[in-house]
Amino acid sequence: MRFTIFQDSRVGDRETNEDRVGYSYSRDVLLLAIADGMGGHAQGEVAAEIAVAEITRRFQQEARNKLKRPFDFLVSAIQSAHRAIVSHAVERNLLECPRTTCVACIVQNGRVFWAHAGDSRLYVLRRGELIAATHDHSKVQQLIDAGALTPEAAAKHPDRNKIFSCLGGVVPPIIDVGQDLALEVGDTVMLSTDGFWAQIPASIIGTMLRKQGIMELMPGLVGEAHRRARGESDNVSVVAMTWENQEDPNIADTASLDDEEFASSSNTTQQLGPAGPVDDVTDEDIERAIEEIQNAIRKVPR
Amino acid sequence: MPQQANQPLPAGYVLNGYRIEKPLSSGGFSIVYLARDETGTPFAIKEYLPSTLPLRAEGVEVKIEDESTLAIFRHGLKCFFEEGRALALISHPNVVRVENFFRANETCYMVMQYVRGRTLQFHIQRHRHEFSEAFIRRLFIHLMNGLREVHASKLLHLDIKPANIFVSMDGRPVLLDFGAARITLSEEGTKLKPMYTAGFAAPEHYRFKPEELGPWSDIYSVGATIYTCIAGTPPQAADAREQNDGIIPLRTLARQDYSKELFDLVDACLELDRMKRPQTAFELQKLFMEEPAVEEKKGFLETINKPLSKLFSR
Repeated sequence: MRFTIFQDSRVGDRETNEDRVGYSYSRDVLLLAIADGMGGHAQGEVAAEIAVAEITRRFQQEARNKLKRPFDFLVSAIQSAHRAIVSHAVERNLLECPRTTCVACIVQNGRVFWAHAGDSRLYVLRRGELIAATHDHSKVQQLIDAGALTPEAAAKHPDRNKIFSCLGGVVPPIIDVGQDLALEVGDTVMLSTDGFWAQIPASIIGTMLRKQGIMELMPGLVGEAHRRARGESDNVSVVAMTWENQEDPNIADTASLDDEEFASSSNTTQQLGPAGPVDDVTDEDIERAIEEIQNAIRKVPR
Repeated sequence: MPQQANQPLPAGYVLNGYRIEKPLSSGGFSIVYLARDETGTPFAIKEYLPSTLPLRAEGVEVKIEDESTLAIFRHGLKCFFEEGRALALISHPNVVRVENFFRANETCYMVMQYVRGRTLQFHIQRHRHEFSEAFIRRLFIHLMNGLREVHASKLLHLDIKPANIFVSMDGRPVLLDFGAARITLSEEGTKLKPMYTAGFAAPEHYRFKPEELGPWSDIYSVGATIYTCIAGTPPQAADAREQNDGIIPLRTLARQDYSKELFDLVDACLELDRMKRPQTAFELQKLFMEEPAVEEKKGFLETINKPLSKLFSR
């Protein structure tokens, strides 16, 4: 496979970066993933971190050869990320489970497959046009679908951040799978969090991609997304892949990879081993848990 | 339920200001005692004490000799904390109230309000076939208030059954024992198995797929509980039903007249397909509130006229 990948994640004007992006590929299969930890909830970045780390781990476990059922893999990997987040919350005795959105896509055999939960997006751009996109699991998208809201008004809607599917929630995520789409040379598959897509319309990206490749164009667009938010920028994250001429000798071919070799990159901090071992419960943990419970007892009116 | 092999605390022992009177019940993970504080107010105190681990042969202190037992003990302790947290966050007349939580004797204790009454299980054993439709509807309308509160707090009970529903002297149902809450959400294979009770646990509970669990899993258990009230025995276990569904239709087991609507409602709760059940406690509560089409049968009217107090006489 010959392709070009661009990836970046910026903190924007926030204190922490709760977005995680990553990609990983073997000789025959490529994974792209992005997760936007939810700020309203405790430790959103932990949820996003676990999501990308867990999906990547599953990918490296199962994608040594081509995946037999890419959609099944995506759904199952996102579900296991959800479970890993919930387990993490139980392990650490977190009062609230951290949450995150997630989009992941697989490219193999010249085709692209994707699945998502929440309002991080995937676009497929061909010759400057948006030919496929995920459908946000968000309240404003539902209103738009019902004809009660225009996309322009949605951008300013007070509930524009409310989503009804995520990883780490009490109910398991609703996971939508995308099409199985044959890639043409020059197609770009792009995953982004709302810090990016809310600022940069797909039409602009399409138009500019006619003139420039992702490696030249994307760094500027990420900066532009940050600037357009006028000092209130959310975390801005993008991972994009352009499908190249498979015969072009100037572009690296994954065929040069050894068997079972993976090339990967992500902004995960890897502090949490995915599906890590059981941590010991120390005396301090016990004291802390008891104190939390006593606080809760005092706080809730009897 | 495994037998508790460990020694209970002796009567008269004073624990953190509460005087132990007697053990009330003992289960897989704990012993519950009746105790009183210095003012004489009664409390139910739950002592974390996994029955499968050798912890206390004598005295009051928990003594753990080896590392692996300690690890399992402490892992289970986290689940005990989960229960404490869950209950501490809920204040509702139909959910048992937690009053205090502390560490002593190398284990932990949860002090709960003491409710005078009996479990629904006791009533089923004692008064088989005497549950009228009106009584069942009234009891479960109230219980759904408590369950709605539990679900609204983003928790699942996951072990609803007659033994975990207390009926106070004034007929108020109180949901007890959140021991199973969250245990299943952790994926470790340790000696502390996830808790479920055959006949009452939903099929997705057996499959051990946390992502399939939801309010509908508790709804299944509510259905099984009503089934038990009417039939006297729980329905066939859900894992066996999935292999070969041989559940005995409730209407063939009933010893008195119930409306078709009530049978349909129990059937809906006991659907193996979780999506076909009522999805929320509120939805189910509304079904309980719908008056059945009155069939003019003498026997039925006699039944609902039977004084409720008869159900509670000892």
